[in-house]
Amino acid sequence: MIRFPGSNADLDVVWVIRKVAGVNASLVWHKEFRHGIYDAIVLPGGFSYGDWLRAGAIAARSEVMDEVGEDVLNGVPVLGICNGFQILVESGILPGALLPNTSGRFICGWVKLRLLNPRGPWLKLAQHGLVVDMPIAHGEGRYYVDEEPINRPMIKYFDTNPNGSSYDIAGVASESGLVLGLMPHPERAAEQILVPDDRTPGGLIIWRSIASALKEGW
Amino acid sequence: MPLTTEELSEIKMILGREPTRAELSMFEAQWSEHCSYKSSRYYLRLLPTTNSNVLIGPGRDAPAVKAFDRFALVFKIESHNHPSAVDPYNGAATGIGGIVRDIMTLGAKPIALLDLLFLGEPSNQYANWLIRGVVKGISDYGNRIGVPVVAGMIWFDKSYNTYPLVNVACVGIVEVSKLVNSVPEAGDLIVVAGNSTGRDGIFGSSFASKSLGSDELSNISAVQVGNPLMEKLLIDAITEATELGLIKYMKDLGGGGLATALSELAADHNLGAVVILDSLHLREGNMSPEEILVSESQERMMLIVASDRLNDLGAVLKRYDLEYSVIGYLSSDGLIKVYYRGELVANVPAKELAKPRIRLWDIEIPEEYRSLGRELRIPEVNDLSHALRKVLSSPNVVSKEWVYSQYDYEVGIRTVIKPGAGDAAVLRLMEVSEYAGIAVKGDGNPRYVYLNPFMGAANAVGECYRNLISVGSKPVAIVDELNAGNPEKPTHYWYFTQMVKGVAWMAQELKLPVVGGKVSFYNEDLSNGSQVRPVTTIVGVGLIDDVRKSVTYSLKNDGDYVIVVGVTCPELGGSEYIYRCFGLEAGEIPLPRPSSEILNGTYVSKLIDLGYALAVHDVDVGGIAAAISEMCVKGMKGVMIDLSKVPARGCSRFDEIMFSESQARYLVEVRRDCLGKALELARDLNVEVGVLGEVHGDELAIRYGDLDLVRVGINELREIYDNTLERLIEG
Repeated sequence: MIRFPGSNADLDVVWVIRKVAGVNASLVWHKEFRHGIYDAIVLPGGFSYGDWLRAGAIAARSEVMDEVGEDVLNGVPVLGICNGFQILVESGILPGALLPNTSGRFICGWVKLRLLNPRGPWLKLAQHGLVVDMPIAHGEGRYYVDEEPINRPMIKYFDTNPNGSSYDIAGVASESGLVLGLMPHPERAAEQILVPDDRTPGGLIIWRSIASALKEGW
Repeated sequence: MPLTTEELSEIKMILGREPTRAELSMFEAQWSEHCSYKSSRYYLRLLPTTNSNVLIGPGRDAPAVKAFDRFALVFKIESHNHPSAVDPYNGAATGIGGIVRDIMTLGAKPIALLDLLFLGEPSNQYANWLIRGVVKGISDYGNRIGVPVVAGMIWFDKSYNTYPLVNVACVGIVEVSKLVNSVPEAGDLIVVAGNSTGRDGIFGSSFASKSLGSDELSNISAVQVGNPLMEKLLIDAITEATELGLIKYMKDLGGGGLATALSELAADHNLGAVVILDSLHLREGNMSPEEILVSESQERMMLIVASDRLNDLGAVLKRYDLEYSVIGYLSSDGLIKVYYRGELVANVPAKELAKPRIRLWDIEIPEEYRSLGRELRIPEVNDLSHALRKVLSSPNVVSKEWVYSQYDYEVGIRTVIKPGAGDAAVLRLMEVSEYAGIAVKGDGNPRYVYLNPFMGAANAVGECYRNLISVGSKPVAIVDELNAGNPEKPTHYWYFTQMVKGVAWMAQELKLPVVGGKVSFYNEDLSNGSQVRPVTTIVGVGLIDDVRKSVTYSLKNDGDYVIVVGVTCPELGGSEYIYRCFGLEAGEIPLPRPSSEILNGTYVSKLIDLGYALAVHDVDVGGIAAAISEMCVKGMKGVMIDLSKVPARGCSRFDEIMFSESQARYLVEVRRDCLGKALELARDLNVEVGVLGEVHGDELAIRYGDLDLVRVGINELREIYDNTLERLIEG
């Protein structure tokens, strides 16, 4: 778990990885991260560098992302959540761009999502078309891309598109599924106690997948 | 307020000479109303502040209450009314920053924020700009520092069209053994960490201690500008330093800046301080010593550290790229000596600086208050469905989702009951145990206070108590914010004194210690100097042993029963109903009923604990009719209720039963198979309850015996409830 100045969901993800996925996790300050050490990497939500310039723009150009890039080349799974997704997109590891929501406002709330073409370590246990619940919380989550990346694993908003994203895209992965970025927060939908009455803990599929993938491959 | 001639001669007496410019600035900042409470201290002594759970009461930057044996909850409320009136975005944002730092001074980790907003009419263009600015300021700052805004309240009234009231509260948690509460000693070092000191917020506290003139925009330099990233780094670094036990004592550099922090710290511990201003990291050159002393630049903390721990503390701060300066040390002579460029620019006794004499102002009951109509004449109403729609579409009743959806209320993965789902927010405390938790909520009703400040303030305490009960918590303590007008005007000061007394009485009755709070004076309309409606806000915290038992207010299952707990009286004075339907703001407001609050609260707590209750909603603004509508909308379920089953006293009309705002009442969804046991328990405890009807279908039907009064589809109710506020604000 890489912590940038301004990351704020880092401890949440560490908690869930340890408690729900049953996998050990360490919080690593961005200056201290080196490639070749960890089995998987998470870039957490928050406001790295205060979202100055654009969300994720400064973190994407910081030295740690060269180290992350090195790990990706060596097949280390990377997950970017919310601001982490913004960083992956800004650094060019994932395609597209993330723009301010069409409403112009920050939006926090639960959404329904559909998982498409699942493969790779983060979606190993999902079936194509699976619908899950997760909450979103972002001001710049409108995914923009010219052409729909149809061959990749994707996560799409299911009944309503809360931010005006192209093709209802909430998350997208590299073609192999090794690197996944998404705006919704799977760590907030991993324990029943935090799930509203009419929802289910839809983030579990990601945490169970990575736990299984790290133990048995994908 | 600038120093008076009287105060000036007192300062000369204290010093035995003419004060220097730096000294004058220090006195002006510290003796401002905002920092010294000189006009309120006398009355604040009426508040009950202790019981066996209170670890630290009023007096520090924040109080602490014991929770679950090993832990302390640190929570406090703050107002940022003046700055928000001038610059809503930065004013509200820095309000959040300040309250979070107050919580951090005891070493607590901030885990929740609340906002209590009193805003103008959305249809008024200026008020609309203020509304958007305030909410965006809270959203941008709170979201960036990663502390969820989980609860609060919003009230709309034209009285706030040019001048909003922005109250914010924060809750933190720390192990009792790690509370930063050592006794500072002579020789300890004074460290200022965080933001550099600049010219922003110069005399902010003095600015907040007088009325804003119509030239208010010239005061923009008195408003601070926030940097949430810096605040987030401070939170992370100070959490780490506290964990390592590196800090002996902390103060936020808030209102009055260095001057206030130094004098309060030294005076509270019979110490003095030697400060070299040249060592402080500044944002701009050529600042005068007086500017440095009273600057209210944000995101700065004053840390007191033993000299042999300085290196360790420095290492933590550096890791987070935080600047810091060692600006001096504590001394034993009780004098604050400030040096700048080799010169002694101030030399004042800390005790005298810290505590100006109490000011008592004249009190006069306003003529406007005497002439309020106490007798209500309400026209006959035939179409009660229409009346329900009017009440439910009031901005004071409808869903506040437009506001809270702009807040990241889930960060921290603690929020079990989220905004809009229950009467209070519920958070789990993983550091205590898997299912331990707390409930938090804030309340206040300016219309009640306008019609009766004593009872209106008392009712805010009662409502907060009920909201904490409704979700299944045991209320432990409250903090209060008294928003009032100009204390120098006898008619304004009267409201303040009445409000304090109302809080003191009700808190004592409900055995809730008022562990901290704030007073905000000089809240006056920019255009004509009239006081904006004064209001008392109460924020309370309750403890929950098992958050799995906490309940929301959405109806859950067809076939369950809806019961009303408590007695309904013909109390329509000051109600949302007579305001929305007849434009009336008159009459006597509902009586506070402390003994019923305790009895009925105990009963509802038992229903929740035994698992009989699946949904609980307290009955307040809009009465039974609004409360049942909200339960229907949230659960998307219908219900037929019979008003003849409501335990009522002296009610001669249907609208009295539907819309009365009598205190100490709840609506509860009782599991079908538990109704008998629930009623038996009510008899045992001598609580009056009525079984109103069964959950079923997709419409809300209200009857009296065989007589149909209201039939509205749930979809229509939902449309009104969910979408009205966005329409009003976004147009």
